[in-house]
Amino acid sequence: MDVVTYPNAEVVKFIQENTIPLRVPFDAKPLSSEFNIKWTPTLIVLDPDGKERHRIVGFVSADELIPSLLLGMGKSYFEQDRFSEALLSIEKLLREYPKSSAAPEGIYLRGVCRYKSTNNPKPLKEAYEQLKDQYPESEWTKRAYPYRLIN
Amino acid sequence: MENKITWETDMKSALAWARKEGKHIFLDFFNPG
Repeated sequence: MDVVTYPNAEVVKFIQENTIPLRVPFDAKPLSSEFNIKWTPTLIVLDPDGKERHRIVGFVSADELIPSLLLGMGKSYFEQDRFSEALLSIEKLLREYPKSSAAPEGIYLRGVCRYKSTNNPKPLKEAYEQLKDQYPESEWTKRAYPYRLIN
Repeated sequence: MENKITWETDMKSALAWARKEGKHIFLDFFNPG
């Protein structure tokens, strides 16, 4: 991470502008126990109250880190019922990093956020259809499979 | 803009900043080697 990912100018800009970056050794007590750290790097998105919302274990390239953080923020807002803010993060992820590993889960989460904020189930079916077309082997396509039946 | 990430090293300080600025914390557990 120190050699490849963190020196990337886009990564530096995104992290400084959008997060509070916190770095601690993997064996620092009591945090390592509280977060059950077993491997490095372990990268976690916490909400402003310190609640874990998203976790990545293992090396992440510069191309993948920003979309993963956007997904983590989207999940955080979603879990707090802040759907419009969740959608802002997810739309940015899908618009700027459509080929990232985080994109399929982003499509799924966007569909769920749109449904939760409107009570209209159509976005769930749209999410499935987009996943089926663009990511047919993704686990998120499988999770969205029941939504194919929505009329 | 700095050309490298300016890391906090203390959770309490990071939480205070996060609450003040309404931002998420990006927490990296790393191996200092």
